[in-house]
Amino acid sequence: MLNVDGVECRYGSAKVLEDVSLSVKEGDFVGILGPNGSGKTTLLKSISRTLKPHRGAILLDKADIYALKSAEVAKQLAVVPQDSNIGFSFAALDVVLMGRNPHMSRFQMESGKDMAIARKAMMLTNTWQFAERPINELSGGEKQRVIIARALAQEPKILLLDEPLTHLDIINQLEIMDLVKELCVKEKLIVLAVFHDLNLAARYCTSAMMLKKGKVFVAGSIVEVLTSENIRGVFNVNAIVQRHLVTNSVFVIPLSPQKPSQSRQCAVHLICGAGTGTALMKILLDEGYSVTAGVLNVLDTDSETAQFLKIPVTTEAPFSPITEKAHKANLDMIRKASMVVLTSVPFGYGNLQNLEAAKEALLREVPTFVIEEIPMETRDFTQGKAAKLLSELKKMGAVSVKNQNELLERLHVSEEKLKIVKDDTAELLYHMRPEEKPKQKTGEKTV
Amino acid sequence: MSTDEVESTYSRRTSRWKLTVLLLLVALFVVVLVSLNVGYAQIPFGNILAILGKQIPFLNGFVDSSLVSSSDFAIILQIRLPRIIAGVVVGAALAASGVVYQGVFKNPMADSYLLGVSAGAALGASLSIVFGAGLGLLQVAAFLGALFAMFLVYNISRVGSRVPVTTLLLCGIAVNFFLYAIVALLQVIAGDQLHSIVFWLIGGFSNVQWSHIWSVLPFITIGTVAAYFYARDLNLLALGEETAQNLGVNVERVKMILLVFASMVTAAAVSICGLIGFVGLMIPHITRLVIGPDHRILFPASMITGAIFLVVCDAIARVIATPFASTLELPVGIVTMLAGAPFFIILFRKKKQSYAL
Repeated sequence: MLNVDGVECRYGSAKVLEDVSLSVKEGDFVGILGPNGSGKTTLLKSISRTLKPHRGAILLDKADIYALKSAEVAKQLAVVPQDSNIGFSFAALDVVLMGRNPHMSRFQMESGKDMAIARKAMMLTNTWQFAERPINELSGGEKQRVIIARALAQEPKILLLDEPLTHLDIINQLEIMDLVKELCVKEKLIVLAVFHDLNLAARYCTSAMMLKKGKVFVAGSIVEVLTSENIRGVFNVNAIVQRHLVTNSVFVIPLSPQKPSQSRQCAVHLICGAGTGTALMKILLDEGYSVTAGVLNVLDTDSETAQFLKIPVTTEAPFSPITEKAHKANLDMIRKASMVVLTSVPFGYGNLQNLEAAKEALLREVPTFVIEEIPMETRDFTQGKAAKLLSELKKMGAVSVKNQNELLERLHVSEEKLKIVKDDTAELLYHMRPEEKPKQKTGEKTV
Repeated sequence: MSTDEVESTYSRRTSRWKLTVLLLLVALFVVVLVSLNVGYAQIPFGNILAILGKQIPFLNGFVDSSLVSSSDFAIILQIRLPRIIAGVVVGAALAASGVVYQGVFKNPMADSYLLGVSAGAALGASLSIVFGAGLGLLQVAAFLGALFAMFLVYNISRVGSRVPVTTLLLCGIAVNFFLYAIVALLQVIAGDQLHSIVFWLIGGFSNVQWSHIWSVLPFITIGTVAAYFYARDLNLLALGEETAQNLGVNVERVKMILLVFASMVTAAAVSICGLIGFVGLMIPHITRLVIGPDHRILFPASMITGAIFLVVCDAIARVIATPFASTLELPVGIVTMLAGAPFFIILFRKKKQSYAL
């Protein structure tokens, strides 16, 4: 049982931590999250008896750790630091055996038992095969695994990890974290870890604490903590937070901060679905276009993305064919668009209507693009009807592009042209679209 | 490497420690014997052994030394043996404190004289030479000067309850410069005594007597034994102070104990022979290159190596100038540096890959 009770730390007069409290019990895996300079490492240092807090206390099974001897604390608490700079070239095994120090008296040599514990720790961290190599000749990842083995050799009840994975490649990261997680669950270890990678935190932590400028911003279960609101509040970054289908843990996709691109005064309507429009939505928004989409089924990936990005969409009930009502609403959206883009979405009888809708755009001479990244034959589930409609569209003037990049290039060009037309003959353009009138938004759901 | 292989390599490595110490001790004994034979007066080995045998209780009854002249007795026991034993004691002391300083500071440039000990001793010695004190008082003055300088450096460096090693290092350098400036001033005004000051600063054993050795032996014995208790902590300090703390080392206390004892050992050593350079800096490096960084073996092995090295250097110092003038002998401090530095460079170039500090 570890209790952090109202801890305040200062460097000089600057408060680095203020009133941080935390209670962790056996088997908890707690992530400490926050941007650089939010006090994560300071918190770990004050818990590891390295930096005495100016106020508050760290209690280890109700005993103040600053009243205990360092050897007493080291028997129960092990630290894996961010970086280890080892002075002399000790063999890896020597370094791991040093983890036995708190358990040995001053005049003792390492016993067979110490050796067995060190060996087990090195086997677990997959470092035994270079036990005799000098630590300074190991790669960053190997070295870090040796350091973790050393921490395990302490046989601690509490493991503090300060961004332990910085030097590790992806397979090592997963192996080490799986190992730590397993120890946490099986041996009822308390694990406190500072993470920069929110997804690793999401995957392994049971609970988390987010720090902002030395104060607790939010603490609780990992699902409560990792929300896009909290991430925006602490990191100042927009992020998509979802539950992953395979790992069943929350995952976070940070979005690059919105570029301050000029608004283009140009609406693009996407005919997409099944995730084929997701990436495009974000790119087009970043480029300054205003985006609409439809018709999409509720719960469709594209529909969810649109919801997250606050894009107006015409929607249909989940797993239902497009009804006349939704189709009409979609046509209304298309009429307001300056361009229409058709992604490589698969077509079945349910969404065949969307191809018909594209015709409407072409009838109105709205520039229409078809992304043919995947050939229609492989995604046509309507016995050729979709393919036929597509070739009709092309005959009517739809421009085929190979992929997203080509599309973007074309869009820029076409937008430039539109601008000229708009500038010179805005009036004329208006009359070229005779039905363009301010209309009520029927059936359009803005979510 | 298989499990058993790793473990047997490790146990072989640790079980070799005792053998290493034993071999080094044998080497030291041989060096001492050979060194007793070196000198202006030709004394055969048989006589030397007989003289030594006479000194050993219980065994002396079996030794026949009737053929040995009494002057040989005096030369061996009162002239050669004390300076050789002084070489053993001083060499071991300087190497031990060098190991401690390098371990605590994690710095390859650290040596026994780091914390102003040398400058303090030099000041004490110079003062007593200039003001005409006797040899006994010189020793006391050098010892106290060294301790005074060490406490000065330690207290200047203190930040709250902590003593960061970087501040210690810098304060040591600053205090060293300041005290050496005073020593230089004393040299300027020393007049006829300048020669004595210079000789003391280089370091040598020409005036060593048994009484000097007995007076410093307790300090050196207590200091090295006490420091050796912390050999494993020195290993842990190599991982960094914070990590050592996390592994159960009471870093600030251990650091203070080690530095105080190491400085005491150095102060005691230099008080009888002046500032012999190189031993405290290079012997720990050389030993580490050969037997590895574990302080539990590095510490005793360095001590014996330091003893061997200094005895050999002193023997060279005694005889090297004899062909030119029978009474002239070089200060051993010159020999240690002339002989040691090239040797170290050769060894370092051979093994520099495995050497990182």
